Amino acid sequence: MSFKVIKSSFLSTVQDYGRLTHGEHGMSQSGVMDEHAYAWGNHLLNNHFNKAAVEITFGGLQLEAQVDTFIAVTGADLDFRINDQAAQMWHGLQIHKGDVLSWGNPKSGVRAYLAVKGGFDASVLFGSRSINLREHIGAKLTQGDELPCRSFDTATYRFISPKYVPNYNQDITLRLLPTYQFNEFSINQRDLFFNQDYTITNANDRTGCRLSGAPIAIKKERMISEGISYGSVEIATDGLPIILLKDAPSIGGYPKIGTVFSLDLAKLAQRQPNTKLRFELMSMHEAQKERKKFNDFFEISF
Amino acid sequence: MHNIVSAGESAILIYFGDKIDASLPKKIGNFANQLKNTLSDVVIDVIPSYTSLHVSYDLNKISFQAFFNKVEGLLNQQESNDLILESKITHIPVYYGVEVGLDLERLLAEKNLDLNTFIELHSSQEYLIYAIGFSPVFAFLGEVDERIQAPRLATPRIKIPAGSVGIADSQTAIYPTDSSGGWNIVGRTLLDLSLNNPDNLDKFKTGDRVQFYSITRDEYLAHGGKL
Repeated sequence: MSFKVIKSSFLSTVQDYGRLTHGEHGMSQSGVMDEHAYAWGNHLLNNHFNKAAVEITFGGLQLEAQVDTFIAVTGADLDFRINDQAAQMWHGLQIHKGDVLSWGNPKSGVRAYLAVKGGFDASVLFGSRSINLREHIGAKLTQGDELPCRSFDTATYRFISPKYVPNYNQDITLRLLPTYQFNEFSINQRDLFFNQDYTITNANDRTGCRLSGAPIAIKKERMISEGISYGSVEIATDGLPIILLKDAPSIGGYPKIGTVFSLDLAKLAQRQPNTKLRFELMSMHEAQKERKKFNDFFEISF
Repeated sequence: MHNIVSAGESAILIYFGDKIDASLPKKIGNFANQLKNTLSDVVIDVIPSYTSLHVSYDLNKISFQAFFNKVEGLLNQQESNDLILESKITHIPVYYGVEVGLDLERLLAEKNLDLNTFIELHSSQEYLIYAIGFSPVFAFLGEVDERIQAPRLATPRIKIPAGSVGIADSQTAIYPTDSSGGWNIVGRTLLDLSLNNPDNLDKFKTGDRVQFYSITRDEYLAHGGKL
């Protein structure tokens, strides 16, 4: 029982919450780029928070159901259709054998998530079902691939209040924790960093997101490599920020001005190139409180 | 001497020194183990590097301040009874030949060395594993003899074959899989360090040691080496 890939796309991969305990072995965290949309997908179907979903980047994917089950599609609006009819997102849907699911061109956002009741039963590699192409762990979906899952006749849904469905077309402000070398940047450098509009460039993938803007003069270009947290903001040799994301290497040697709050990175994952972006400071207390609330709501625990 | 900074909403970074020092990797590795054992209910992952240890923790269970205090307490305790564990040494066969050592010819000319002297300088010492990173099983080894040190290439190569042995400044390393990179390639090993063999995850540990030994072109070819 599975979904079969009829047409593959630019980049669709199986992802779960990530590979959280292998940094010691030099592995990336991996996992879904938009934790918010992914968490809703599983939540709508009453799944455990860590069930594997398909992350569809920029659309172009077609799947055929070879199973009767339930799905939920969240995240980017990539013109999701069932049997060529526009289908509802952010909602549990019953699927029958033979149904064709397709995603076309992006209307809003970048990444859509296909969650299935019970999760996709892809191979567990190093403690996670997440694919990491940079590390040669698994592969992207290609034509003929089968995505195994179980069948279900009945399911109970949860509903989403419309206020939780995000608008991915707005410019964003990323809240930044003052971490790492924050105190080594001068007041002038920090002012320049927090008081400008950056622009998301095309160099923007699962590894990191490069921004363009006015460069910050840095005195220390490289330093001794150290462990990297998801969302760390490196200031590269050219004085411009790179936000390190799920597939980033576990260690790195550029100075870091701070770390973006994880739930704001979920918003970043849905922004297309040329979107304007600003940073503002966030306190540790505030970040932990907001993240804990999110974890409690979606029953995320380790 | 240590210094703890925040590294994100659920991570801290502990500095054990501010410059590269051969005594640090073992100390950091030991503390990482101690932390995982003592605070196993809240520690999620550790990333040791040259002078620091990155620790991620479960914010559902403990606040930043409470975690910071626990770690600081353990660090103070450790300084009074520093235990030294055995360090493992791994021997790696390398074919140092110009067909696979893409930068070997240039380095020999630049350094005014003959091949045998170069091999002797690269393979005669035990290297310390300072960090694992960049990609899985990629171990940063030091320190390379000054006479064969060389800066990274100005333009990194798009594809370096798996098993390539490289030098970057005072460090040397083996690329476990095909990847891009800017290190000076001086030879290749036939040892499979890829994750096709999951045991390779534990092949190298910060604080352990690695020594290379030279194999001939014939030996390299006899074991399936490609030129």
